[in-house]
Amino acid sequence: MGREIHETQPDNASGSSAPAAPGPGRVILAMNAITKTFPGVRALSGVDMTVRAGEVAAILGENGAGKSTLMNILAGVFSDYGGVIELDGVPVAIHSPKAAQHLGIAMIHQELNLVPDMSIVDNIFLGREPRTARGTIDRRRMDEQATRLLAEVGLTLHPRRPVRQCRVAEQQLIEVAKALSASLRVLVMDEPTSALADAEVRRLFTVIRRLAAQGVGIVYISHRLEELDEIADSVTVLRDGAYIGRREMAGTTRGELISMMVGRPLDELFPRSDSPTGPGEEVIRVEGLDLAGDRREGRAALHGVRLIARAGEIVGLAGLMGAGRSETLEAIYGVFPRRAVHGNVRLRGRRYQPRSPRHAIRNGIALVAEDRKAQSLVLTNSVRFNASLAALGRFMRRGTVSAARERAAVAGMVTDLRIKTPGLNTAVANLSGGNQQKVVLAKCLLTEPSLILMDEPTRGIDVGAKAEIYQLMTELARRGSAIVMVSSELPELLAMCDRIVVLCEGRVTAEFRRGEGSQEAILDAAMDRQAVLGIDAASPSRAPARREVSDE
Amino acid sequence: MSSRTTPASPGVLAPSEPPGRRSLRARLRGVLPVLGSLQGYIGLVLVIAAGMLTKGQVFWNQQNLTNAVGAFASRGILAVGETLVILTAGIDLSVGSLLGIASMVSALLLVHQNLNIYEIVPLCMVVGAFFGLANGAATALLRIQSFVVTLAMLNVVRGIDRMLSDNVSVGTQLINAQGQLTPRSAQFQVLGTPGHNVFTGLPLPFVGRAGIYYPVLALVVVVVVFQLLLSKSKFGRHIYAVGGNETAARLSGVNTTYVKIAVFMLAGLLAGFAGPIDAAYSASADPLAGSSYELDAIAAVVIGGASLAGGRGSIVGTLVGSLILTLLDNVLGLNAISDNAQLIIKGLIVILAVVIQRPDFFRALGPAVRRLGRLTRTRTGDPPGEVASGSPQPQSATPPLEESR
Ligand SMILES: Nc1ncnc2c1ncn2[C@@H]1O[C@H](COP(=O)(O)OP(=O)(O)OP(=O)(O)O)[C@@H](O)[C@H]1O
Ligand SMILES: [Mg+2]
Repeated sequence: MGREIHETQPDNASGSSAPAAPGPGRVILAMNAITKTFPGVRALSGVDMTVRAGEVAAILGENGAGKSTLMNILAGVFSDYGGVIELDGVPVAIHSPKAAQHLGIAMIHQELNLVPDMSIVDNIFLGREPRTARGTIDRRRMDEQATRLLAEVGLTLHPRRPVRQCRVAEQQLIEVAKALSASLRVLVMDEPTSALADAEVRRLFTVIRRLAAQGVGIVYISHRLEELDEIADSVTVLRDGAYIGRREMAGTTRGELISMMVGRPLDELFPRSDSPTGPGEEVIRVEGLDLAGDRREGRAALHGVRLIARAGEIVGLAGLMGAGRSETLEAIYGVFPRRAVHGNVRLRGRRYQPRSPRHAIRNGIALVAEDRKAQSLVLTNSVRFNASLAALGRFMRRGTVSAARERAAVAGMVTDLRIKTPGLNTAVANLSGGNQQKVVLAKCLLTEPSLILMDEPTRGIDVGAKAEIYQLMTELARRGSAIVMVSSELPELLAMCDRIVVLCEGRVTAEFRRGEGSQEAILDAAMDRQAVLGIDAASPSRAPARREVSDE
Repeated sequence: MSSRTTPASPGVLAPSEPPGRRSLRARLRGVLPVLGSLQGYIGLVLVIAAGMLTKGQVFWNQQNLTNAVGAFASRGILAVGETLVILTAGIDLSVGSLLGIASMVSALLLVHQNLNIYEIVPLCMVVGAFFGLANGAATALLRIQSFVVTLAMLNVVRGIDRMLSDNVSVGTQLINAQGQLTPRSAQFQVLGTPGHNVFTGLPLPFVGRAGIYYPVLALVVVVVVFQLLLSKSKFGRHIYAVGGNETAARLSGVNTTYVKIAVFMLAGLLAGFAGPIDAAYSASADPLAGSSYELDAIAAVVIGGASLAGGRGSIVGTLVGSLILTLLDNVLGLNAISDNAQLIIKGLIVILAVVIQRPDFFRALGPAVRRLGRLTRTRTGDPPGEVASGSPQPQSATPPLEESR
């Protein structure tokens, strides 16, 4: 409603193309009493939010608290909302992404929003390609600028590379580069670090600090509280769509923030102590795992990876982006064509040849994939459909899927994982990011796996839910599952894992037992270049395979 | 008015129901996707209303309705197969040709081999399934887009069809020395010749001793079977998953190759099943039979609310789409609207259907009407325009078979 307002917007936007001069403490963005309702859900009720020039304003809240919704309103994604938004003291009506762009508001969405089949440079300049005097697209300028922007966020990718070939972390940084290419007043980042490892996070913070110094107001959403200590100036807390309060970061403790967020103090984040019984039998033993890299698919190569996980054990995989952590899990899960994978895999003592995901699931292996939107969820379908998809065989009765059994099992998962959803038939696309992640977990757990491969299992999950998921992992391990988890969050790995295997450029460079490793030691091992440089120069010739990911 | 507050959304909301308990509303919401979209039913009601208003009893009697549905049944069956393919985000352009070759095969088997229908129909289904398998294999294994594969298959099969028939139609009404139909030929008529029913003389509910017109029965059975397949079986779930997100489906253990091959094979199988119906209806197999039927099938699927992007749609929805096309055809015919005008109307209705199928159509309608009203009033002083909400205009039509009526 109200799209007729648009003609008036350029007036407000006049002069907005250049960022306003930094005025210390000047409020550039004020959102007052914002309300938003979805069918059956009141997502926001009277939320206030202010951002000053040069400030990094964090928003904190549990999954489904309404953080993304609030920022989507600012970015013009939802056109019908209640309340007033003022930019530089002038009330503005933002009813389309285009309008937001005009006003100098850019948003990096929680879910990646790049066009997979287009190149990085085309994605960066999508919709505002620079033109030459003759009116054609100025490719040279685009490439130059793209290279510069990519370097700013610390990527060395070729700008003409299709986005499809980039890993999630790389795509996150490309999104940042894309936002930088526009002239900015307010930059919104919705969980930009959820897929980034430490080194990449550092780089991002440098970029953020520079922007802030230029007077850009930055809204920063994250579930990683330790980041807020470092980067945020103020924190606004939401709970169940309501405004709870705003605090200056200086002088506020983490515990205080958590209790504002969840409404009660949280006792313990990491429930895991040293495994009480000691590890059991070997569930999986991987030796000499080689994987042919594939540039077109953006797949890192693996060279002789060795990995063992025993029943009751949680094994962590650490490493930088492109180190081959996800590839290791996916190779075991049978995602890649058989000719690309070599090595010796033993599952519960028996030789195992990864063939296909289906084969893996039958053998009690489950994968929580890295990119929930692209790899895990059928977004337009319901919670029930998605959660039961991998385990339909369990609900069969007389040749048909028994709706009653299925519903009971999924409802059980929804309760156990505290998935916040209006109902089992709600489309997954309508859930908040963290709750979508929980649906992915539910899907894997319903297959009753004995080996669980988890790629960033707590990506985008709030502290309370994280504690629940850690609890769940501990419980699964206690009941005899083996868990291999990839995580970019070192504290998480250090606290949860019995062993941590560090990968660097497709090779295992270190292995730490519980209590032995430290963040520094792991990072050192993850960046251990000497170990691989000599061989790496020769490796491209070893990995020329250009194969699509196998289908079965 | 540069600043503006949008009115706050309605205040009180029903508390979201706990996922464990099932209210009536939740139950309803569970069934609704199977039934297709509300807009489809509105369209159907409008078409029926148009028929009743213009022709009254001439339109609304069992004889006429049976004829109308019977004339379209073979295309309705094609549309069911097409739905399966479209649900996986594919498309099958060859179903018309497959129906053509199946109808030709059925006629040739009848005329030259003197087989009975219990042999002919399964053989035709095998023929259809064979070409469907080829479609599926090329799509899933060679990774060629289904549009291209089936476009090629459309021509290949038509070519084979014409070679088999030497470009002449093959009549199915064989007369013996006494000037009567041969027994086999008489039996063949049951498959679709108007006026020949199955299950005559049995005290059936609804239809009584007059029996049922086989094409109508076949369509209903196919719809029921395939709707159950989609909503009750594991395979049905997998179809939706492949269309919704193929990668996610594969990582969830769905054999995506198998699913893709299977849907094309089923589409071919159904085309083979529909072939003899078409031959019996026309009393002959024409080398061009079934041409452009694939377009009617696709139109029915789209009008029924399925998304060409895959993952959304249902067989019942497709049935509604087919009925809209069928009855429209009939209404336009009864009102003596020219074939050419029928084509135009049919083209427009597909566009209209897609527009009104948008999930937020009804919500978007309110402001749109208001805005349009304001615009027309301020600009020209005209009374506020009516926005088509499933326009009551007669909509689509299909070129009627030469033999019909
Ligand atoms: N398009 C939509 N349709 C219906 N409901 C929605 C839609 N988008 C969000 N919601 C609901 O609004 C609420 C707030 O969601 P939102 O995405 O803003 O949460 P969030 O705070 O960003 O959570 P997270 O940390 O998990 O990303 C949730 O209950 C969600 O289910
Ligand atoms: Mg969010």
